[in-house]
Amino acid sequence: MLRILLKKIWQILPVLALVSLGAFFLLELVPGDPAVAVLGPTAAPEEYARVRERLGLDLPVVERYLDWVGGVITGDLGQSIFPPNRSVTDMMAQRLPVTIQIALMSLGLSLLIAVPIALRTAYRPNDPIDRTATMGAFTAISTPPFLAGLLFVFFLIFNRGIVQIAALVIGLLLAVYLGRANLARVRTIPPSPMRNRAVLTMVAAFLLPIVVGVLIAKFLPTFPRQGYARITEEGVFSNLRSVALPVLTLTLTECAVFVRVLRRDLIETVGQDYILAAKAKGMPAWRIMLRDALRPSLFSIITLISVSIGRLLGGSVIVEIIFNLPGMGRMIIDAINTKDYPVVQASVLMIGVVYVVVSALIDVTYHYLDPRLRRVR
Amino acid sequence: MSDDPTRDPRAESTIVESDMNEQLMSPTVFATAHAFEEPWHDTEATVHRPLPITAVVALAVGGIAAIYVALAVLTTVTAEIRVVMTVAGLGLLYLAYRGIGQRIYGPGFQAGLWLAVAWLTLTLLAAVFADFLPLAEARNPSRTLQEPVLAPPDLFSRHPLGTDRQGLDTLGGIIYGLRVSAIVGIGAVTIGIIIGGTIGTIAGYFRKAVDQVVELLTNSMLAFPPLILLLGIAAVLDRNVRNTTITLSVLSIPIYARLARATAMVISQRDFVLAAKALGAKSRRIIIKDIVPGVIRPVLAYAFVIIAAIVVAEASLSFLGLGIPRPEPTLGNMISAGQGDFDTYPHVVFAPAIALLITVLSLNQIGEYMQSRWNPTESKL
Repeated sequence: MLRILLKKIWQILPVLALVSLGAFFLLELVPGDPAVAVLGPTAAPEEYARVRERLGLDLPVVERYLDWVGGVITGDLGQSIFPPNRSVTDMMAQRLPVTIQIALMSLGLSLLIAVPIALRTAYRPNDPIDRTATMGAFTAISTPPFLAGLLFVFFLIFNRGIVQIAALVIGLLLAVYLGRANLARVRTIPPSPMRNRAVLTMVAAFLLPIVVGVLIAKFLPTFPRQGYARITEEGVFSNLRSVALPVLTLTLTECAVFVRVLRRDLIETVGQDYILAAKAKGMPAWRIMLRDALRPSLFSIITLISVSIGRLLGGSVIVEIIFNLPGMGRMIIDAINTKDYPVVQASVLMIGVVYVVVSALIDVTYHYLDPRLRRVR
Repeated sequence: MSDDPTRDPRAESTIVESDMNEQLMSPTVFATAHAFEEPWHDTEATVHRPLPITAVVALAVGGIAAIYVALAVLTTVTAEIRVVMTVAGLGLLYLAYRGIGQRIYGPGFQAGLWLAVAWLTLTLLAAVFADFLPLAEARNPSRTLQEPVLAPPDLFSRHPLGTDRQGLDTLGGIIYGLRVSAIVGIGAVTIGIIIGGTIGTIAGYFRKAVDQVVELLTNSMLAFPPLILLLGIAAVLDRNVRNTTITLSVLSIPIYARLARATAMVISQRDFVLAAKALGAKSRRIIIKDIVPGVIRPVLAYAFVIIAAIVVAEASLSFLGLGIPRPEPTLGNMISAGQGDFDTYPHVVFAPAIALLITVLSLNQIGEYMQSRWNPTESKL
């Protein structure tokens, strides 16, 4: 284990070095004089000199880079070039928790939703439920996150009535559909305890969508259009309510990606002989899927989580803008708009580093989980 | 993967086919997937018969009638009912269209795929001939002072999809926006294929030091979350179509470098490459004659999916105000500009949003089809 860890660290060191170089040389990409870009063409000469000094442009490039990296390693990410010249480390300490909360909650919620859907669809591929889910996942993947966010705003904040009516109508349609499908199934089974169970399932399948629809219509919570309630100040409940829509927005895409990948892997697993054996023994479906099929199908998902974290870090920028949350993303966008280059550089670097390190950790976990990889050095 | 003897070949076929969304309606897949299911599901696996002609005609007429009534007759009814009716009409039309397709091409007719092709063709044509179309002013707010502001969509007027806060035509904006998406998407993917594909092929063929350098570079480029990398670059460059294309090619280059490298690596181990080497062929000849033809297929098969990702990324950048700035319309900046009004005038956001969504869906649909068709899986190589 330690060996793998050390090897991984050895592998990511050059990547981290290049990441820091990339973030550093962003400033060199600025066309013309960065000081002019910051202040515009009409400032006083001493103003330009001050900004140049703040950006460190009076030093040679190599020295500047080494200074910067040295600062980063000791926890000093530089200062904003605008008064009150706050330290970037402090700004981040305030902003990072918001972004991390949104990203982690979205990741957790996506997995929570995706795993049951994938299990159900993979158990009976190509039945109507599977086709609906596959189609839904495909549409969700094709929906740009900012669009999803605006749709949530439109329907859950501006037009709640539509959602309430839709919940009732869809619940009713679903109830009729499921009831009919189950009725057809009950008819094919001769009278037996099995048939009694099927009848119970039918009743449940008919009632559940109606109950859920009514519950959604009745208890649809109100969400704030924008802003963030900190747990320490306004309590858990308003905190959750303020991040609900951002999290849902990000979950939509992530969840769809997970469903697709997990479903594909599960179908492959389910095709194997030991699952057939379990079915032949008469194991219940949930047990086969949960106990036998799920674990060997999880590996792609685990690899995918690191990609997903990257997407979530990017996506959080978008939801933080739409829902006006004080996170890292908003900070980057504000810094870009005011041309506060040190803040942009430091934030890009930090997100890059976090992403690289998390990916590496997940890679190591993967080695730990899959015994086949552990043997191969 | 291919050396796993326990793998069930039936599972393989199910996976490949179930990946193709458009094939899900096909009765053959339906039947194979259910062949080893519980008996009472067999009833569902019966072959679909194509709709009778009368039904197709009825659906088509009903659809057109519903849309016409919703858009032209019921002008005084609330918007919600008209929207629902239009959508229902479109649904009927879709069923009619699928019915016709299945009658002509058999039950394997891929309705969604051909719709996607039609939409993208239409989009490209509109984008190319945008300047010659009889559109109301959509780009220059100083020329729209006489136009109605925030006019609602009315299909039979000068502004079929309405106007925005500055009186700019929404339909025109969408067409010019789609033109930007097309230029940026195709441009960035072309750059990615040329630069990334070349680097990847060379690295995959020569391996050793070249390969390690290329791998380190691609890993570092992929080390930033995509959108964050784009933000970083967009922060320092001027905002215009050329720079946006270059910025977004930063996404496609490492992806293509990896893809080309992996494919080239597999192909260079094949016997015909060994034979070419034994005959004394030079590396350059082997790469051009033997490796590139094999690399090009998966590279092109991947193109549509990447264009889709780039169109989304471009729209996200313009939405965040870091793409091409207003008043030059792009789908992203139209949506962003409409945000303030879309509580009361939903069309300013929904019209470009739906155009964007359909475009991305179409690109993904074609992309998935091409990948399932053209991209040889690891086992087949």
